[in-house]
Amino acid sequence: MKTIIYTCPYVPAEWIAAHGLRPSRIIPDAAGSTGPVVPIEGVCPYVRGFVNEVITGTQASAVVVTTVCDQMRRAFDIVVRKGKLAAFLMNVPSTWQSVAAQKLYLDELKRLGRFLIGLGGESPSTDALVKIMLEYDTARTSILAARGYLTSRRYSEAIARFNRDGKSGITRDITDKKPLTDGIPLLIIGGPLLREDFEILDVVENSGGRIVLDATETGERGMCAKFDRRRLRDDPLMELANAYFGGIQDAFRRPNSELYNWLKREIAARGARGIVFHRYVWCDIWHAELRRLKDCIDLPVLDIDTAGDNETYKHRTENRIRVFLEMLQ
Amino acid sequence: MSNTPKQITLQEWDQRYEQLQRAGMHQPDYGGPLGRHVEDGDYRLLKLRYDNSAAALRLWNFLLTEEQRLYQARTRGKKIVGTMKDLGTVPVMAYSLDNLVAFYPDGAWWIPCVMELSAGLLSIADSLGIDESFCPVRAMLGAFVTGAHFPIPDLLTCSVGATCDDFSAIAQRLNSLGYPILWWEIPHRRSPEHNEPAVKLPGGFSAPKCQVEFVKSQLELVKTALEELAGESLDEKKLSAGIQKANQVRAYLAELRQLAFTAKVCPLPALEMLVAEMLAIHFCSDRDETVIVLKELVGEVRSRVKAGKGVLAADAARIFWVNPVADLQVMNLLEDCGGRICGTEYLFSHALDTIPEDLPPTEALARIALADPMVGSSVDRAERICTDIRRFGSEAVLLSRIPGASHCALEGEVITEVVQANVDIPVLEIEVPPVTDSIRPTLRTRLEALVETVIERRKR
Ligand code: SF4
Ligand code: SF4
Repeated sequence: MKTIIYTCPYVPAEWIAAHGLRPSRIIPDAAGSTGPVVPIEGVCPYVRGFVNEVITGTQASAVVVTTVCDQMRRAFDIVVRKGKLAAFLMNVPSTWQSVAAQKLYLDELKRLGRFLIGLGGESPSTDALVKIMLEYDTARTSILAARGYLTSRRYSEAIARFNRDGKSGITRDITDKKPLTDGIPLLIIGGPLLREDFEILDVVENSGGRIVLDATETGERGMCAKFDRRRLRDDPLMELANAYFGGIQDAFRRPNSELYNWLKREIAARGARGIVFHRYVWCDIWHAELRRLKDCIDLPVLDIDTAGDNETYKHRTENRIRVFLEMLQ
Repeated sequence: MSNTPKQITLQEWDQRYEQLQRAGMHQPDYGGPLGRHVEDGDYRLLKLRYDNSAAALRLWNFLLTEEQRLYQARTRGKKIVGTMKDLGTVPVMAYSLDNLVAFYPDGAWWIPCVMELSAGLLSIADSLGIDESFCPVRAMLGAFVTGAHFPIPDLLTCSVGATCDDFSAIAQRLNSLGYPILWWEIPHRRSPEHNEPAVKLPGGFSAPKCQVEFVKSQLELVKTALEELAGESLDEKKLSAGIQKANQVRAYLAELRQLAFTAKVCPLPALEMLVAEMLAIHFCSDRDETVIVLKELVGEVRSRVKAGKGVLAADAARIFWVNPVADLQVMNLLEDCGGRICGTEYLFSHALDTIPEDLPPTEALARIALADPMVGSSVDRAERICTDIRRFGSEAVLLSRIPGASHCALEGEVITEVVQANVDIPVLEIEVPPVTDSIRPTLRTRLEALVETVIERRKR
């Protein structure tokens, strides 16, 4: 089965799977100083890791990139020029309040569908799409139910594994387990995590903290809303678009006030006492939110800026997390 | 009095001003000696060199009095629209209504340079969490907070979607500080698919018809907001008249560019050309006056070209400049090093293209908005650059990187590759911060090297 890789949460895995292809939302490595895109001032390390993985990786048949940030949009040019994979750039609107923006997203899904068919995928029947959406929805529910039973890292990695492989395998993990309650409850928020960044979650736990909300793009924040079963049967593609475009809150949206509304609700529900703000150097979209987050959420915020592959950054990050948690003790 | 074209300093302009006055120069109400603007804190002016014509004086005075013009407009009861990140589309709509004035808050980009960092705008941006990892447009945040550089607009619009991350993030920060913004979207321009209805855009790109329709729907939202603000409907007739006026500006600029970039001897310096091109974006807050300023400038350049006179040596290296410079003085520096500008892509080439007049006006504006070189791929932009390189006979490309800009890090390589593959001329990439004093020797060496390369290649 052909594999279609992507990294943006606004690309619905169900839509690719319904075309008889294998969706895989990858988590790139922090590309070192090698690879087609070398570390250059101004390039987000995540973009660099993604582009290098797409260009050098051999497993996939095609890649889907989205327009959620300018750097990714420009990265697409590099992928097309230097890579061998078929590539598709999906327009994900920044605005979301107008019907026109919602329709644009839906139209882009249809265009993606045509691209997938061009790759050898099959046009999905309504029944096939409904079935796949139900499977994914059930898997997501089981993952969400495991929250609190797994260590912070295992939980976030379970989400990442599901995104990559479409399988949760989660019930096996939590059988007979008691919920974890130790540690100071924290949330982590920011863009996507590179593979190496998951270590941060261990550092938090080893320093006396516990992540009660992974609001990074690779974590719970990057999961679509639960499907409405009735609407799903009436018009599955529309429901898919609603759950993704309407259900995932992100800093790039204009306005992005819904991200803060969502965050406030989740903080209240989960009792977080502090925020780890994770961002990459040269990521304007998240960087600009840091001060606002500090201003509008009444919790201590630890700013972790990372270059992705740098040992100095790593040690500094570990120390700062320790000090942050000591302060919260 | 000698009218030989040349570049002069600000101090020399004082004397020149007196001469022109004595010779009976007509001046508009915003006229006066250039040196007075230094009292407003525009210290960089002391270090620039200017064209010595009366037309250039009028151009500079027009540019440097925009703030006063905006305040006067408000006093006269006009409503002010801040059109952010949209280069030359919404202003055309706003100026089609009698009691609206549009300006471009992003223009604060140049304040740190012009005021040599004395305005403190970058420190204010720092304090709001927008540090030097963002492009110099962050100065705009400081300008809003201080309210000292332009009146706070009655309506703020901002184009998003296929924009840079810097501006999108900064505008969102502004919004979070309590400034309401009407967001409108331009999607990333893509190539039409096989059998998909397509539209040829001004400037040569093409786009799927559905994208034009989408942008049209966005412009309708903007139109409604403008109408509400103006208390007046913006019907097709008014909008068409507004487009015709904008095209008058664009026609003068087209002629100016053609003359300045192709003449044997460069008739107008790079700096004045840059300022003139910028007028296309929002008419420097007075559309009618923009037409007059450009008409005079074109007249001056026409007569210089006819007389074979100019401001630089005839063998100056013909450079195509990509991206605006954060420090205006670098334009002078290129000329000091033996170069001249023959072709530009300052991020807004679409604002220089003629807006179609044979289409329904909103459709025409949607097409022009989608023709923005920055909303498509870097390859598109590079190909447009190549077309202009051929047209203007440029001998090298100078890519000036904007510190922190989200588009600069990855597009430079693409543009370089496409230019070298298509037109086979040298490309040099430099980074230009708002004040370049400390890196001037390095910049000079690099620019001289580029000029030397061009001269060497002529011997081939
Ligand atoms: S981390 Fe920021 S710059 Fe990097 S891909 Fe995500 S939004 Fe874009
Ligand atoms: S210079 Fe570039 S990064 Fe800065 S606002 Fe303009 S387009 Fe955006």
